Amino acid sequence: MTKEELIAKLKTIVKPYIQDEDAFENLSEHTDFINDLKINSANLVDVILDVEDEFDIRIENDDMEKMISVKAAMDIVNEKLAAK
Amino acid sequence: MIGNDVVDLNQAHKDSNWMRPRFLEKVFTQNEQALIFSSKNEHQTVWLLWSMKEAAYKIYVRQFGERFFNPKRLECAFESKTKGRVVIEDVVYKTTSQYDKNYIHTIASRLGEKGVKSSCLKIENSSIKLQSQLSRKDVLEAYSKNQNVHNNSVTIKKDTLGIPHFFQNNKKQKETLSISHHGHYCAYAIL
Repeated sequence: MTKEELIAKLKTIVKPYIQDEDAFENLSEHTDFINDLKINSANLVDVILDVEDEFDIRIENDDMEKMISVKAAMDIVNEKLAAK
Repeated sequence: MIGNDVVDLNQAHKDSNWMRPRFLEKVFTQNEQALIFSSKNEHQTVWLLWSMKEAAYKIYVRQFGERFFNPKRLECAFESKTKGRVVIEDVVYKTTSQYDKNYIHTIASRLGEKGVKSSCLKIENSSIKLQSQLSRKDVLEAYSKNQNVHNNSVTIKKDTLGIPHFFQNNKKQKETLSISHHGHYCAYAIL
């Protein structure tokens, strides 16, 4: 999966939870889930669970801990997919 | 140091399904899950624990300058219906929560400091932009009244960690501020 494909998939996953449309339109690797997209922290749990379902992976809490930005989420997903 | 968090229980009901597979395991320790399932109102207990974790997390970020997303790292225990404590590694925070069937508001403090000024208001409009504006206006009014200064000279700015601070004539003030809004509720705590 290319970087662009992964970003596109993550964009689809976060869409139902975002509260800042402008930040969502301009979503990039550097986008922060909470500070930029204004995703409610309880919904960040849903984002993590949706990522697990979409990529058929399991994210331990130690990895989840870093997932506050698109870049961090991409790193974890890539790591988990490579380990499959 | 303080942190606060408000949960609109009706909004939480609409936005989050904590019964979703793996949700509870990601967020709550075994002890906390036992507290939830032995309580009379599971929905309320889930969000009471959540608000305690969030309020304590806000102090932790202030204290150690590190953000992370792992609610399970903060473990809650109840001391009474309204008082509790949240432990993360060897750090303990004290919490006080106010709640009814519509909302939960928790204030966490590092040392159980006295003299915290707080407010939790219900607002009609629940759009996030308006919430943010209203809670800032409310908190600025309270602060400037207390400091006996004109509220035009005080502003609130967030730092890179997302922590809000008071500035008066562009000078950062010593008081710590925590703002929270969710659904139809806006809350703040100042110390």
